[in-house]
Order: sequence, then structure tokens, then C-alpha cells
Amino acid sequence: MLRSIPALPLAIALQALSLLFSPASAVTVTLSIPPSPQIPNPAVLPPSTHATLTALGASFLAPLTTDNTFVFRNVTPGSYLGDVHCATHGFAPLRVDVISVAAGDDINKVGGADAGLHIWETFRGNDWENKGEEIQPATVGGAFPVKVLGSKIYYTERGSFSVFTILKNPMILMGLVSLALFIGMPKLVENMDPEMRAEFEEQSKKNPMNSLMSGPQPGSNPMGNFDMAGFLAGQGSGSKDESEPSSGNSGKKGGKR
Amino acid sequence: MHLSFRALSLSVLLALPASVRAVFQDEVGHIDYHHELLGVPQRETTFFHRPRTEEKASLLYTLSDLGVLGAVNPSNGALVWRQLLAGNITDGGGFLRAAEDQTWLVGAYGNAVSSWDALTGRNAWSLNSNGVVKDVEVMEITERGGKDVLGLFQEPGATVTRRIHGTEGHVVWEHREVNKDVPLQVSTSLDKVFVVTLHGSLLSYGLKVMVLDTLTGKKLDEIPLGTKSEVQSPQDVMFVGANSAAPIVAWTDNGLTKLKVNVLGLKSKQEFDLPAGTVDVEIHAPHTIQSSPHFLVHSRTKSGHKADVFHIDLKSNVITKAYELPLIEGGSAFSTSSSGANVYFTRVTNDEIIVTSSTSHGILGRWPLKSGAEKLGALHGVSEVIKKAGDSYAVRAVAVTDSDDWTQVVNGELGWTRLEGLSGAVAATWAEFPQSEDLARTLEAEAHGNPLSAYVHRVKRHVNDLQYLPAYLQSIPQRLLSSIVGSEGTEAADEVTRDSFGFNKLVVLATKRGKLYGLDAGNHGKIVWSKNANETPSGRHWDVKAIHADNTKGFVTVRGSEGQFIIVKSDTGKTVEAMPSSLFPPVDGAVVVDSDAGPWLLPIERDGKLADVQIAWAPKQTVVTRTGDNEIQGFNYVEKDELASAIPIWSFSPSAGQHIVDIATRPQHDPIASIGRVLGDRTVKYKYLNPNTIVIAAVDNKNSVLSTYLLDTVSGEVLATSSYEGVDSNKDITCTLSENWFLCTYYGQYQLRDSQAQKIKGYQVVVSDLYESELANDRGPLGDAANFSSLDPVDFPTGPALPSVVSKTFILSGPITSLAVTQTRQGIAIRQLLAYMPESHSIIAIPRMLLEPRRPVGRDPTPAELEEGLAKYAPAIELDPRMTVSHARDVLGVRSIIAAPAILESTCLVFAYGVDVFGSRVTPSQAFDILGKGFNKVTLLATVAALFVGVVGLGPMVRKKQINMRWQAPM
Repeated sequence: MLRSIPALPLAIALQALSLLFSPASAVTVTLSIPPSPQIPNPAVLPPSTHATLTALGASFLAPLTTDNTFVFRNVTPGSYLGDVHCATHGFAPLRVDVISVAAGDDINKVGGADAGLHIWETFRGNDWENKGEEIQPATVGGAFPVKVLGSKIYYTERGSFSVFTILKNPMILMGLVSLALFIGMPKLVENMDPEMRAEFEEQSKKNPMNSLMSGPQPGSNPMGNFDMAGFLAGQGSGSKDESEPSSGNSGKKGGKR
Repeated sequence: MHLSFRALSLSVLLALPASVRAVFQDEVGHIDYHHELLGVPQRETTFFHRPRTEEKASLLYTLSDLGVLGAVNPSNGALVWRQLLAGNITDGGGFLRAAEDQTWLVGAYGNAVSSWDALTGRNAWSLNSNGVVKDVEVMEITERGGKDVLGLFQEPGATVTRRIHGTEGHVVWEHREVNKDVPLQVSTSLDKVFVVTLHGSLLSYGLKVMVLDTLTGKKLDEIPLGTKSEVQSPQDVMFVGANSAAPIVAWTDNGLTKLKVNVLGLKSKQEFDLPAGTVDVEIHAPHTIQSSPHFLVHSRTKSGHKADVFHIDLKSNVITKAYELPLIEGGSAFSTSSSGANVYFTRVTNDEIIVTSSTSHGILGRWPLKSGAEKLGALHGVSEVIKKAGDSYAVRAVAVTDSDDWTQVVNGELGWTRLEGLSGAVAATWAEFPQSEDLARTLEAEAHGNPLSAYVHRVKRHVNDLQYLPAYLQSIPQRLLSSIVGSEGTEAADEVTRDSFGFNKLVVLATKRGKLYGLDAGNHGKIVWSKNANETPSGRHWDVKAIHADNTKGFVTVRGSEGQFIIVKSDTGKTVEAMPSSLFPPVDGAVVVDSDAGPWLLPIERDGKLADVQIAWAPKQTVVTRTGDNEIQGFNYVEKDELASAIPIWSFSPSAGQHIVDIATRPQHDPIASIGRVLGDRTVKYKYLNPNTIVIAAVDNKNSVLSTYLLDTVSGEVLATSSYEGVDSNKDITCTLSENWFLCTYYGQYQLRDSQAQKIKGYQVVVSDLYESELANDRGPLGDAANFSSLDPVDFPTGPALPSVVSKTFILSGPITSLAVTQTRQGIAIRQLLAYMPESHSIIAIPRMLLEPRRPVGRDPTPAELEEGLAKYAPAIELDPRMTVSHARDVLGVRSIIAAPAILESTCLVFAYGVDVFGSRVTPSQAFDILGKGFNKVTLLATVAALFVGVVGLGPMVRKKQINMRWQAPM
């Protein structure tokens, strides 16, 4: 009744059962996880790590052993899809071809020295004949190393709050600069020598924005002679004379050209 | 090519819509819960063992009744590692032994013996055989110095004993005895191996002991024990002592009046009387070779239990009764613990723990249980006794209780409890908390009553409600505070209530051991109630065929296969009605049908037969049943005399040679928010939304062809069919159906019918969308009709309106099973496919957008298609770990996943059961209607406060400046 889970391993069990006494062409396939930059110490991989070989009507399962290998016994000839299932790391899928060897050979002849066993990398969703590099066993007759793709990421980072991210915001930066101007400018002006100050105040009188920012001027309404539309159009209301030299300037430039 | 593969998987990852988001780390344990379970530990396969000789700490090992081999940390009850010993869920049995001072354990089930590293849970070796493993024993003393394993196998026509090398796993020797005996157990003493078999025929067996040489496995002797037909069944043999200096075999007569004991290797047996009315006998003996050869016979009677301790004289091999422990009412569990030659017996009764030494009846320690109100009810257990300074002792015992829990008791104090009873779940359903229906009913009564009385009633109700006001006011500051710091404790809520988000729901879970549980999904899956719902004879499981929650009444109905059913209240578990088995005919299943008397669970008898029902209870819909292995029939109920009886109206069989492997039906709650899909060019493709459809998957084993049939259940018409070649019928084939699409998953290996012949191999999923017409802005033969009938052919004479089917096949990076589809309240949020990944032990939510049949093939999507969210078709779908709902959790053996909508449209509740119990919430279109944990209330308040301070601080400054300006002389 527990149909969903046992179906696959049961098939393995049956497979294994029927195969014990027909070892003439069955082969032992050994895969291994060598230490790599991604997995410096394969001994820390979780015990649930296992590998499967699947083909039409056949499947084999091998748990991770204490030597960091997967041992498939009595694998019948065929072309298998090899997968390594691990909770912490992803592995490249494999194509495992077990070719029927002459009846004289026995199961003890394992590994790559045997002409009956070839392992390649394969690409999911691609043609089965489209093989990658052939994987060679680490030692003659030894285990075939599997390739780690990387560690699995299960979580996404939540954007955490920090003062610096707020400070990096351009709006906040602009606000801070104008705050500094707002507070610092009068002090600066006070510290200027009287001549400069007079000149500066003359300037700021002409600039309508400045007078707007520094509040209503006693006696004269700063908005009185301020032409908003004109200001926005780029010509200062009280600075017609100013705009002329600049246009003349540009004219000069044009003349130069 | 390598590069293109990389590029390919990258493109697949990029194709994932933004709505695919993984679980946030801070939500772990907040929105999800997980009971990591092993199954109920078995008496023979549970023990303490030191995984590393140099370290003093021991772990608790068990092989449970589900075939899960696991190690538990005895100090806190946490799982250290676990493995499915046989690769799948089993039905009890199996063997587990540990070798003293060795780092490995040896387990066996079915035809395989395997060895596991005790600390890491890694496999050391495994050995498959041609026969069934009947017993496994550790050989403590070998000529080599290490320890070996003895395995007893029953092969066809032979009893095979193998000595297996302890660390390398190869067979040292094999002894094959060709006979028809039933191999029972294997045992070893210092210099001999004993194989106990049953000789004879069923119900009249005689015991036979074969003595083998430890070095070569040669048979030295054969000793028949007792008279013939003394033993009726293998169950009558109580115990074969293992690894003690003087191993014994003990058996009882059929009436449980006498216990017969033989020291293995001798021809004589000794008989001892059992107490009158004994119903059960257990023998406890130490398992180490240096322990004193003492053993304890625990005999249970109907009302109580007692124990007798026996000693074996090593020189004369005479067994003498040393002392007895008095008869105590109620049940209890005995266990042995040995250190050196000392053997201690621990007795865990309902109210105390008593430790005695095997040499004398003097009590070494006695601790009353401080367990509170609930009695322990220990069935069996294991214990560790430590002798402390002086004459004091400490004991820790771990016992399996009659509520299927696994509880540790340290010196009388209750330690941890593992809720192993939740494992092995066979059926579950969501149920609402019933209480808020009261208010709804009151309001309804007020609305319909006389205005004056309704007003009086209402005022009374409000006055009555005033009594809760002070408590409410009192709770405000605390709630405010907890809301701000984000420690909203759902744990604080003792009483279970509905919440405004709809996260608090009950899950009623039935296990194969006959227990029913009510779990609070909103409170980390806490057990609200549990009860023993089904009295099954031992060895038989509760085969639940249907479970249904009636939320208007607040009842949950559970139907078993033997015709038994139980109706309980969903919030308290109180039995409303119960029917024992075999009073009603056995059932194949049960379906929820609508009738004049309301919805109810209609039982379907064997072979799809439907019994006559009262007219008021007659189902209004067509009932579809599976009438044979390969036949499906639709029935309508028609009135006949006083009753309504089912009349078959159509039947369906797949093509010859095929057999049905899966039938997918629509979820009960399947709202459709939109009847069409707006395409990128603002045209609409109308969905084919026929509520009366099922999907049938049938497979031809010989030719490996899978056919799917979309069936109209009213007319029995096949609406769509397709076949897939090269489908493995031995691997899982599952389908699911929702809205206007269905999908099936299988293992396929076939040649593409393409210009370049390509071969494909792997786990696949085929998804089919159903539309009313192939064209956009077209409703096909239906035209503008608001209704349609399955029975009226619309575009006569070609038959009923057939859907236009768009299909795509994808290759998955692993198998998926137990399919389900997310459900939301209105069906506005996009759907996700929920599935269990049996190889990765996790639950994945695959967005429907990824499994979209309209993804363009062989070209980049046009801007209009991109607007729709269609990415270029890539044949492979990597099951990204970020799509897993269960994230890094190891969820073992999921049998089924059930989904339920919350009140919030964004959220769907998910619950998975099997070996483990896991629950979570998924938000397929992001949590758009609720503030998640990412919304930091403290930051918000701090920002508001900072702004306020800024305004208050800057205000006077500005005012001062303006005033100063006014007083300055104009320039």
C-alpha cells in the first residue's frame, strides 16, 4: 500500500535477487568522491548521500560507504544513467555503459581495466549519444571519480537593514548635502571678511532661488519679482543682463568654430 | 558541448521567473515544522551501543517497524543519523546487532545483510543473497581477533549459514544444509556455532540444533530437541540466547503453561511452570560473552506481570531459578544492562523504576516516576545502569509506550519523548476548527429573528462579551510589545482557535498502527489530541481507504478496508460513532458525494460495487468506480422503490495489453480565477474548464508504452489521449490534474522521432494544457454559450466539444512522486506543482510557469511572449534546491502531500506525511497580502522616531533663523 516509495527500491531488490546467481556478465561498478576544492573532506558528506543507476526496466542503488565510494554489485549489461544524490552538493550526471563481456571473465574483474565498463559525463536533455569526456578510474581497476558541480543553496538572503544602505541612497545623500548647506552656509558667510560678504550678498540678492531659500526678506517679497515660469525656462527673471554675456559667450565660441 | 550544457542550465536558471524564491533562513522553524521520525522501535532491534570505543558516550540504536535504522542521542533524543535499511518502507521485522567494542552495526532485512558505521551512518558493506535472511548474529571471538557476522539464510530448499567478515563483508565460510527445515536462529558460544531450525511440517514442528565449527563451518553434530510436534509455529520459540557464555533456546507449549529451556549443545531440556493465565512471555538476557549467564523470564497475565530470574551453572549446565520479582498489576517493561560480569535488570512499571542485580533479589535502586498525570504504559525498553560511588546506582531507560511514543526516563525523571507514533501515516486530511461556526450561527439567528428579540439578544451578547474586556485590555501592552519585537509566540496559545489568516488548521492523521492524531498546523504541528481508533489484531495494519472532514459539523470520518469506520470530532478527537470491522462489507474506497442530506462519504465495495442507499442520501453526481483491474465505470443513482440504486451508464477500458497505473482526479477545492489566458498581443485563449474530468494513465508492460486518457466523467467520453514510448512500468508513474492542465511523470528511454535520431533517457514530466480552441479569441464549437453539457454534442455530428491540447515534455534531474497542486482561496495566485523527491528526501514546489507547454521551441521568445512570461523551451529542468519547500530538511518516506488554502489568497498550506511529518506554507506568487518577517517593525518605528526628532529639533532652528532674518536690516 506504501506504493509511492518502495516501488523503485523494490525493483532493485528484485533485480539483485535475480542476479546473484547469474554473475557471468554482471559487473561491479564503483564510483568514488575524491577530495576536491568543493569538497575538501568527503567524509563530512551526510550519510543519506547515495547514487543510482537507472535504465529502462532496471535500477540500482548504492549508499555512500565509509571509503567515500558507491559500490553497485551485479550490474547487468546496459547503458545506465548514473546520478549521485546528495543533500549538500550537486554532482554531474553520468552515462555508465556496461557491455557484456566474454563468459570467461568473472565479476572479480572490475573497474576500468575491464573493457566492459565505460563511464562518461552526460548532459541532461541532450542526445544520449552526446557524451562528455570519458571518466578514467583513479587507479587501474579502481573507482571512477565523480565530478562535483558545487554546493546546493537552499535559502535566499533577505535584504537586511543597515544604516549604510540607507546612507548610500542618492536621495538621502542629496538631503544630507543640502542640510549641510542649510546649516553651514550662514556660518560660512559670517566668517567671511566684510568685502567678500558684501559681494556675496549682492550675488545672492540677484539669485532668486537663494532668497527663496533664505526666507522672506523684510520689506520686499522675494516672490514679487520672481517669474517662476521664466526661471524654469532657464532665464533668471532679474538677471537678463547676466544671460546676455553668457549668450554672447556662446556666440564667441560659435565664432571660434 | 560541455559549454553548451553549462549555457543551457544557466539559461534554465535564468528562465525561472522572479516568483521562484527559496525559503528565507529566518522563516525556518517559523512557517514550517518537521517531525523527524524513525518509526516505533522494535524490542529485538533496539539497544545502547558505544560507537567509538575510546569515547564513553553511547548512542541509542534502533531498527524500527518501518525499516528505518537510526541512531538517537540519548541525552536529548535528537536524531544522529538514519537510513532506510532495505531502501524502502517495510512492515516490521529485520535484524540489527552491534558488536561490542567495534565501530559497526550489522543489519539485515529481506535478502540483504549490510554493515553500517555506528557514528556516521555510512555503509561499510552490503551482501545480497539468493534467500531470505532469518537471523544475524555477531561472532564475538574469532581466531583473527576481530569480530565477524553470522548470517542465517533460508534459500529455496536449503538452510544456509554464512560467516561474513566483519569489516570487509566477504563470506568466510558457508554451510549449506539441503532440507525443508524452517531456519529459526543462529547463536554462538566460545567455540561453536548453533543453528536452531524447526523440523517437520506446519503445526507439528520439532526443534533441531545444528552445531557447526567456527573455523570451517563444518557440521559437528545435530541435536533434535524435545518431542516432535512440540512446537506449532516459529512464534512459539521465545528466545535463543546469543553470545552469552551459555546460550539457551527457550520455547513454550501452546497453552503457555510451561516454559522449556535448553542450554544449546546439550540434549536435555528443563521445564518451568509459568503463572496461570499467562498471555505473553518474554526472555531477557545479556548479550555479551563476559556477562554472567543469567536470564529473566517476564510473563504477562491479563491483569499484571511478574518476572523470574534464572541462573545457569556453567559447569553442570543446570538451570536453577534464583529469585522472582513480585507480581504487579498493570504492564511494565523489563530490560537488561550489563557491565563486565554484572547483569542488571531494570523494571519500568507505570509508576516506578526498579533496578535489581541478576545475582540477588535485593533492590539496588528505586525511583518513583514523576511523570505527572499521564501514566507511562511502557511496552518494552532498553536501559543503562551505571554504578556510582558507594552503593548508589543511576539508571536511564528508554521505553516504547502504549501510545507509540518513545520516552526516556532518567532516575524517575521523564526526559525526552519522541513522537514515533506519528510515523507510518497512511491518510490525512485538513479540518477547520469548528468553534467560530457558533458565532456565525448566532448572527444568522439574530438576522432571521424578530427585530426586538434580536436586539435584546444582541445587547445581552455584548454585555456578556464585556467580561472578556479586562483580560483583553491587559493583553494589549504585551501583544503590542511582542508584535514590535517580532516574537509573536504561537506557543503561548494553549487553546486552539482559528486565526484571521487561516493558518491555524487541524490535520487529522491516521497511522497504520490504528492511531488517530489531531495536529495543529498553525502551531508547529503540535499534537492536539491522539487516540487509538482501530483495534487491529497484531500484525494487521489499519488500511485506511478514505478520510473526510465535514467542516460544517466538525466531524472527521475515517473508513478502513474491512468495512470499519470511525467518526470523530475534529477538534477534540471524541468518538461520535464507530463501527468495528467485518460488520459491513469490505470496501475498496470511498468518495465524497453530494446528496439532499448533505455531503457524505459513499463507500465503494469490492470490485467497484455500489450498494443501494436511502433516497435522501442518493448522490447527485455520477460516481466513477474502478470495477476491475482494467475497467472504470460511471454510475448514476436512480430511484427504485424506497431506495436509490446505482445504474452503470458508461464503462471505460484502456487498449488491450494495458493496465491502469494511476487515476488522477481534480482537487475538491479548485477555484478558477480567470476563464482565459491573456496573450501578449491582448488576445485571449479560453481555457477548457470541464469540472467532470479525470486522467487515467495506463501502461503496456510488454511494449513499455504509457497512454494517458482524459475522460469526461459524465459521458464517459475520451476527450484526449496520447501515448509515450519507452516508459518504464516498474518505476513510478503518477499524474495530477488541476484547472485546465494535467501532467504525468515517468521514467522514459526512447528515440526521438526527429530528423536527427536522438535518444533520450531520464525522468520526465509531460504537461498538457487544455484550451477550448487552438485559436485565440475563439471559444471553438461552444461559441458564446454560458453552459455546456457533456451529453449534448455541440458541433454535431463530430461529437462533443473536444479540447485543444498543447503538450510539452521536460526531462527532470530526478524522480518526483506524490504529486499535488497548490490551492489558494480564490485561485488567483499562480499554481505550483508540489512533489516529493524520493532520492533527495525533500519536497519541491515547481512553478507552473516553468512547466509551461506554450514555451517557444528552437527560437527566442518574441517580446509579446516575454510579456506573458514565456521563456525559451529547454528540455531539461534542473530541480533547483531553492525550489524545495523543505529546504535542507531530510524528509523521509513521504507517502502523500496534501494542500489546503489559507484565508490569505497568497498562501497555501502544505502537509506531507509518510515516515516523517512535515508541514509548511508556500506562497506561489510571493506573499503579497501579508507582511513577512522581512518587514522590520523596529526599523520602521526607529525611522519614524528619527524623523520626529529631526522635525522637533530642526523646527526651532528654522524659526529662529527666520525671525533673525526679519530683524536684519534690508540690504
